Amino acid sequence: MPEPRSIALIDAESFYASCEAAFDPKLRGKPIVVLSNNDGCVVAANTLAKRIDPDIMFKPYFQIKNWALAKGVAVRSSNYELYGAVSNRISEIISRYSAWQEVYSVDESFVGLRGTPEELESIGHEIRRTVRQLTGVPVRVAIGATKSLAKVAAIGIKKAFAEIGVLNLARYDAAQMDRILDSIDVTDLWGVAGRSGKRLAAINIHTARELRDMDPKWARKRFKVNMERIVLELRGVPCIPLEMVPPAVKDQLIFSRSFAKKITTEPDMEQVISLYAQCVSARLRAQGSVAQHLSAWAATGWADTGTVSHSAQATVALPTPTDDPITLTKAARALLPKLFPVDGIRYARAGVVLTDLRQADGVQPLDLFRPEFEGRGVGQALDEINRKFATTAVGVGLGGIKTPPGWEMKRELLSPRCLTNWDELLVAAA
Amino acid sequence: MCSIRCVRATSSVPGLRAHAHPAGRSEVAQCGFPSPAQDYPTEELDLTARLIRDRVATYIWKAAGHSMEPVVPDGSMLIVDRGIAPAPGRIVVAIVDGEYTVKRLHVDNDGRVTLQAENPEYPDIELPELSEMTIWGVVTYIISPAT
Repeated sequence: MPEPRSIALIDAESFYASCEAAFDPKLRGKPIVVLSNNDGCVVAANTLAKRIDPDIMFKPYFQIKNWALAKGVAVRSSNYELYGAVSNRISEIISRYSAWQEVYSVDESFVGLRGTPEELESIGHEIRRTVRQLTGVPVRVAIGATKSLAKVAAIGIKKAFAEIGVLNLARYDAAQMDRILDSIDVTDLWGVAGRSGKRLAAINIHTARELRDMDPKWARKRFKVNMERIVLELRGVPCIPLEMVPPAVKDQLIFSRSFAKKITTEPDMEQVISLYAQCVSARLRAQGSVAQHLSAWAATGWADTGTVSHSAQATVALPTPTDDPITLTKAARALLPKLFPVDGIRYARAGVVLTDLRQADGVQPLDLFRPEFEGRGVGQALDEINRKFATTAVGVGLGGIKTPPGWEMKRELLSPRCLTNWDELLVAAA
Repeated sequence: MCSIRCVRATSSVPGLRAHAHPAGRSEVAQCGFPSPAQDYPTEELDLTARLIRDRVATYIWKAAGHSMEPVVPDGSMLIVDRGIAPAPGRIVVAIVDGEYTVKRLHVDNDGRVTLQAENPEYPDIELPELSEMTIWGVVTYIISPAT
């Protein structure tokens, strides 16, 4: 009789900050914060930084600039290229320990593990050691009988086992589990949103233990099937399966950004929109789908007092569902005549949205309506070139301009993109 | 295209395992006579598979400076593996005073750890300890253009 399967939740500690420290020895043991797109506000901070200011998250950069300088807090722009590459490596390392893996987010995976409680803890330590050794990023391994209990174990690690980094709830007996669940607020549980939390409080359910002891049928009636599942999962009955296949094709694709520098002319916006259309078309091809509708929009900043407040939008029904960048770029330009209805507009953001997506295979367009370049593999060729050289090495129309224009994302405190860019490799003094 | 000179960076450590490429062979529909080569299916040589033992443990670095010449020419690319132990005699990327440096690891009979330069004009550096904090990874290959 094999041991029942347990679930381990493996998550990285302060993932963005840990990635920064993994490649920069000067950052080791230092407080670190990471800024959002355009260096807007703090989106990640390690424990040391949070210890200095527990409310550091989401503070605007200009507000914390001097504070960081005074307190010796390292500040970095978001290095998404680096975080993405490190995340892939960590997922792959974890996959070597289990055939069942669900990559839940950029820094979290659920895996299924079988073994005695002691074996599971020892596998947990092994995973932690290996990920640390190969990537430099510390991860925690929280183990429980179900996904919900693995999440409970993760709370336990944060509270009491941060140094050890591995916890298996199976080591606790029933009375100890009662005490643990008693100490956890119901809204800290996985899947219990603030609103359900309020409704639970109204019927006097405040702790994880009280929720676990709720009648599951009643939970389903009063709330939804999800709440019944959480109740059962807290009792150790697996109800939420590992989703091992990535979710099916997205039915909408969005590429939108805020600009570092406001856009005040039509040619500049044409360049932005062309580039975004190409980016979104590359994503479309990557997931093997085609789109029927394209919308392009642009808007001024909500807090910008130096502009007339304005937003413009154009939606185009494409002649046939397509992934062709030339057709999509052309369609996105439908936005241009709607821009600048009056003088003095400074656009702060723009985006391209593709909707009505379907699998590319299922489409049999009539040749009559077939976009003229589609059959020639222009999209694939662009993707190939951009992959070999750099994103936006070539492009269609004004999207093909090589020098990064002023409206590209501002990342002044960017660390080297050392896993994805040949000219930003790590350097060792010889 | 630039031709490359590729040097195995090793001393006493047994050879690296070249991984077999996992991708399946392509099957081409045959009409008429079978090709006499089909009984000898083969993968073309894959430099990445040859130079990289384990993708998730491998990092590509650049060396800057002359202290390791002639073994590590200034500007060469380094293949650095974090999945193998930093044995004495190997070339390593180490951390000294918060800076990365590439040197040859030396441990003497008293257990004293030094980072040695290949170029006699450069001094050796003493390391307080051998740990994850001081050794970042082991250099397995040095790649530089043919000059």
